[in-house]
Amino acid sequence: MLQIKELTASVGDKEILKGINLNVNPGEIHAIMGPNGSGKSTLSNVLAGRENVTVTGGSLLWHDKNLLDMEIEERAREGIFLAFQYPVEIPGVGNVYLLKAALNAQRQHRGLPELDAMDFLALVKEKMKLMEMNESMLYRAVNEGFSGGEKKRNEILQMAVLEPELAILDETDSGLDIDALKIVSNGVNSLRSPTRSMILVTHYQRLLDYIKPDFVHVLAGGRIVRSGGPELAHELERDGYAWIAESGAYGVGL
Amino acid sequence: MNPYLEQCQVERQKRQTDPVDSADQQRRALEWQRFDECGWPNTRLEKWKYTSLSSLEKLALPTALVRDPGFVMGSQDFLRADGLVISWVDGQIDLENSSISELPAGVEILFWSTMTPDERDKFAQLLVQSRRLSALGALNGALLSEGVWIRVSPGACLEVPVFLIHQTSQSCAMHLAVVVEMAVQSQLTICERWMSTRDQPTHVNLVTAFHLAEYAQLTWIKAQQGGNGSYHTAGLWAALLGHAQLRLYPFGLAGSLVRHDIQVLLQQPRAECTIRGVYRVCDREMQDFHTSVEHLAPHCTSDECFKGVLDGSGKAVFNGQVRVALDAQKTQSQLANHNLLLSEKAEINTKPELEIFADDVRCSHGTTVGQLDENQWFYLRSRGIEMETARHLLVHAFTREISDAIPHAGIRDVMNQWLGDDCYGA
Repeated sequence: MLQIKELTASVGDKEILKGINLNVNPGEIHAIMGPNGSGKSTLSNVLAGRENVTVTGGSLLWHDKNLLDMEIEERAREGIFLAFQYPVEIPGVGNVYLLKAALNAQRQHRGLPELDAMDFLALVKEKMKLMEMNESMLYRAVNEGFSGGEKKRNEILQMAVLEPELAILDETDSGLDIDALKIVSNGVNSLRSPTRSMILVTHYQRLLDYIKPDFVHVLAGGRIVRSGGPELAHELERDGYAWIAESGAYGVGL
Repeated sequence: MNPYLEQCQVERQKRQTDPVDSADQQRRALEWQRFDECGWPNTRLEKWKYTSLSSLEKLALPTALVRDPGFVMGSQDFLRADGLVISWVDGQIDLENSSISELPAGVEILFWSTMTPDERDKFAQLLVQSRRLSALGALNGALLSEGVWIRVSPGACLEVPVFLIHQTSQSCAMHLAVVVEMAVQSQLTICERWMSTRDQPTHVNLVTAFHLAEYAQLTWIKAQQGGNGSYHTAGLWAALLGHAQLRLYPFGLAGSLVRHDIQVLLQQPRAECTIRGVYRVCDREMQDFHTSVEHLAPHCTSDECFKGVLDGSGKAVFNGQVRVALDAQKTQSQLANHNLLLSEKAEINTKPELEIFADDVRCSHGTTVGQLDENQWFYLRSRGIEMETARHLLVHAFTREISDAIPHAGIRDVMNQWLGDDCYGA
């Protein structure tokens, strides 16, 4: 359902992605690993439609539709969800307001009626239990004053409420202690389904102990330099990323 | 003499033939003379450097004596909250739509049009400093058409707010005055709303005076919602005695040109003043806030924050002055002004002015001018929220901090709703 072909993209004058090829089918979990600066976050941002990234070549298809023609919000309504590496604080906008507006925007897009306040709250409270979040967080401003772990849990809560077809988890494990990592992973695992795919972007193999991927790709120098099964992650954990530089696959300038 | 002033002359002569008391005529003559000496404000004056009245000058606006027969009262959103309502149309008290026939104990409301000569004299005295804030104050003194005087007795605490709701039915000029006298330990909330009909030039020239005795508490909220062609100039002067508390919430939401001169005097120890304001401008709109807080005694506190949202070719001026007199030791004062520019054509001129003569004080000030946060915008859109809605949400969130500070829940809700109202080109 997601087809990435020879995708190149730059931020400012700098070319970051230099020809990415990746196919994601329903129900599959793909892990994208790589050293810092390899283009992992840029790839996440391209999929979500962030405007500071310019696509310079290649194609991005979502259910055979050109993703590049879609606005940021349209992609979200079409079922693509990005869990941010650094969730943004928005003082003055309530968490519950955002969840409701987001869910209703999506429902409207699908031709469904808006959820009434009672049903909506029941749904959110159920998902909050799963994320072991206190209900009081609903009535706080979006991510404002949340700890690192709370922010990441809040991301997965949004994902649980919106039930996307494709979730991109950008470094969701970064900054989490082991307890928070377990809660977040449980949340993500509970959302696994034969129709839902995920792309896990991570630097470390640790997250993959909790969320088992079907495929692991190594991104380096703006290209996918190796793909394999879950065992590849363990290999990376053991050998690090240094071999990429040695093999010359790291790209120019590194 | 410009067309506006020529019409003022006509109005002045009309009043001279009115059978009224001679003391009043004398006061008006003196105020007109004072106005003549000050002159019509122009951009060569420091206080009017960025705010030009040249478009108002061209308008010959008469005083309206009879309301337009086709006039329909505007929405009365505030009236969902319980309160005493003073309704005005075209600068005249509209008793039919007011609810002040039965006043709670401890409050008295007088109207200029029905005051005795003695009361008018006292009323004018209470407005002396308010009328000195700008030349337009002198003009107000010469041409005053109606006023309201609210007196609250010692220890009286009004549970419900007093609403002053002003509407216009036609093109006209109005010179109005409000005086609030708060006796020792009294408490009151006043909420003003100023509306005007669309696309008809109007000018409200208002002076206000708040006199707070020891331990008095006054909360004042003002929503300025003028239409295209509305001019609003207002001078507000307040004096606080020991331990008095004044909270001001001015919201400049719409209007062709809106100018506020606000001066607060903290005259005795432990007086406190809080100001939380918003100005918001779209295409061809202008808002100007000149504020001045004077710490004249030790141990007083002032806390002022204005937020501005500027869109289209809108323009705003914020000039925040804080003066701390030599013997006003242990003063605590904060002044902040934050601006959100939504278009390349929008303009803000902001200036904090601190003059501190005492040496043991805590005074801070800060000003920012910024744009919408791209990260926040992207975040909202990535959750499926439409671009314009996301922008609107963020703008509302920016000003919400101010409206959330309004202590009265009913008024706060209405203000939040108005701030959410679209003025941002959706």
